[in-house]
Amino acid sequence: MVQDLVSAENRPGPLRTPLPRRDAKARNRGKLARKYSHLWFVLPGLVFFCMFMIYPAISGFAISLTAWTGVGNDFHFVGLQNFAAALGSWPLYRAAYHNLIMFLAILVFQHTVGLFIAVQLNAKPRFMEVYRTILFLPVIISLVSTGFIWTLMLSPNIGVINPLLHDIGLGFLARSWLSDPGLALATVIAVQCWNVLGWAIIIYLSGLQSIPEELTQAAEIDGANGWQRFWRVTFPLLSPSFTSLTVLTFIGQFRVFDIVYVLTGPIGSPNFETDVLGTLIYRSAFGGSSMASNDVRMSYAIALALIVFVAMAVVSTILIRVLRRREIEA
Amino acid sequence: MNTPLARRKPRSRKQDRRVASFARHLLLIATSIVILAPIGYMVLASFKSVPDFFGNPYGLPTDWAFDNYTRAWTDAHVSITLPNTVIVTFCSVAGSTFLASLIAFGLSRKERPLAIGLYTLFVAGLLVPVQMIILPLFILLKQLGLFGSLFALILPYIALGLPLGVLVLTPIAAAIPRDLVSAAQVDGATEWQIYRRVILPLLRPGLISVAILNGVWMWNEFFIPLIVAFKPQSQTMPVGIVSFIGVYSTEWGLVFASVVISTVPIVVAYMLMTRQFQSGLTAGALKG
Repeated sequence: MVQDLVSAENRPGPLRTPLPRRDAKARNRGKLARKYSHLWFVLPGLVFFCMFMIYPAISGFAISLTAWTGVGNDFHFVGLQNFAAALGSWPLYRAAYHNLIMFLAILVFQHTVGLFIAVQLNAKPRFMEVYRTILFLPVIISLVSTGFIWTLMLSPNIGVINPLLHDIGLGFLARSWLSDPGLALATVIAVQCWNVLGWAIIIYLSGLQSIPEELTQAAEIDGANGWQRFWRVTFPLLSPSFTSLTVLTFIGQFRVFDIVYVLTGPIGSPNFETDVLGTLIYRSAFGGSSMASNDVRMSYAIALALIVFVAMAVVSTILIRVLRRREIEA
Repeated sequence: MNTPLARRKPRSRKQDRRVASFARHLLLIATSIVILAPIGYMVLASFKSVPDFFGNPYGLPTDWAFDNYTRAWTDAHVSITLPNTVIVTFCSVAGSTFLASLIAFGLSRKERPLAIGLYTLFVAGLLVPVQMIILPLFILLKQLGLFGSLFALILPYIALGLPLGVLVLTPIAAAIPRDLVSAAQVDGATEWQIYRRVILPLLRPGLISVAILNGVWMWNEFFIPLIVAFKPQSQTMPVGIVSFIGVYSTEWGLVFASVVISTVPIVVAYMLMTRQFQSGLTAGALKG
């Protein structure tokens, strides 16, 4: 469709009527060409975009309506069966529940610890730039590296955390962090907190820096104490940061994959205690430990991914609506 | 303001401030240690020999095993995956940023036909999760015969980088004063010349943040290469390390040497351009 419009400039189009002078005709044609000329700039990118994003997305939807397993040519149409099967399967809800716990825990962490540290940095202590550079560092480091660092640190045999606890006399706190079913999820969350703290700090700090000082000064003159100034003046003005950080955390936590894959593996061990939507989809498409598994169904995995995508799109839209409304009130 | 109360206040407030400032530094230093300790540990661990991990978990290495690095270079295929990562990131960033700047220029004038529709289409790409398109993408790349070549990563990365690029650059291009463009037109500049001589230089700050934004995820990307690159010949570092783990699961020194090698370039880039990284990544994350 777009290509048609782009090539429209080469067609004579409605200019068939003979014109008195040749250059007038050319000028008119030139006008039409100019009207669409901007599309030439869009075309190269659009080709890439159609080929590697739109086409896979559409063909993915088509495959999700078949019984294709990923190999062979059995593409027979099964309608919405994959979707029904996915929605009726219990691992989907277990994984979504784990995502939800991660989201809530990290959300609370970001909005308390992250905000608190951002406020401290906003007071412009000496070396503020140094602190900020350090605290943002984990955001730059890949989740795979983060995962490895913490796998080793938390390892019960060769790790750091357990020997350290023993040496400072808190040996009774030593645990097998990533293989204890009751602790694994909390440990994964803690590692992610280390990784994402920088986001909260930077986002809140830029929010804080955009608040005009006159406002807090005015409140101070009116006799508001520090606590009141923060909760009545600063915090409401930070609501755009609150919104962005919440939505960012939501999307991040419901898409989480790398770090779980590295810390507890594709099956979300122990006993699926850390299984999330990302690993569930991966496993459905490519199998757990080995690539050759019998219950691997590509079409089912795509249906699963689509369900998660639609649910996330709906929830994040609602989230943005609700939080934006709050911003206006504030 | 001459009341005794007002006179007494500044001094006590000054003291308060000093205490608060002390507490603040204490907190910030403690947090910085929590953030830095694991990174420092990673660097130390990369110099440790296997027995050192058991006997001496958090001290300095007893004998510095520099050969972890030389062995990582050969045994862990870093000699292949590091250049791969550099090539893939460079080509994808360059391609994606360039195409996005073209699109941004093309769509920067709302009254042009299709401009708003196409802009929405590109930006909607941000919502599409990789998990959804990765499987058909896998099939497509297989059909195109791109498996085993770096194009299997570069081409999808370019496409996946476009939505953010268009999102960041189009408003900047739209905000460029019309008079500049009209002046160039009057001087007889073609559209391409306008893009090249007028728009592109003015897009520079935006181009840098788009390049950083896309560069960071492309360098660190794990999921896509995990699916489409099975052999070291076409792997980037994050996947290379993970598949190496499967082979030598106890050789932590080697693993960490690889992790350090994969982390150093991006940390150095971050240190050189801290400000651009922070503002660029935040801007992208907020808009995304």
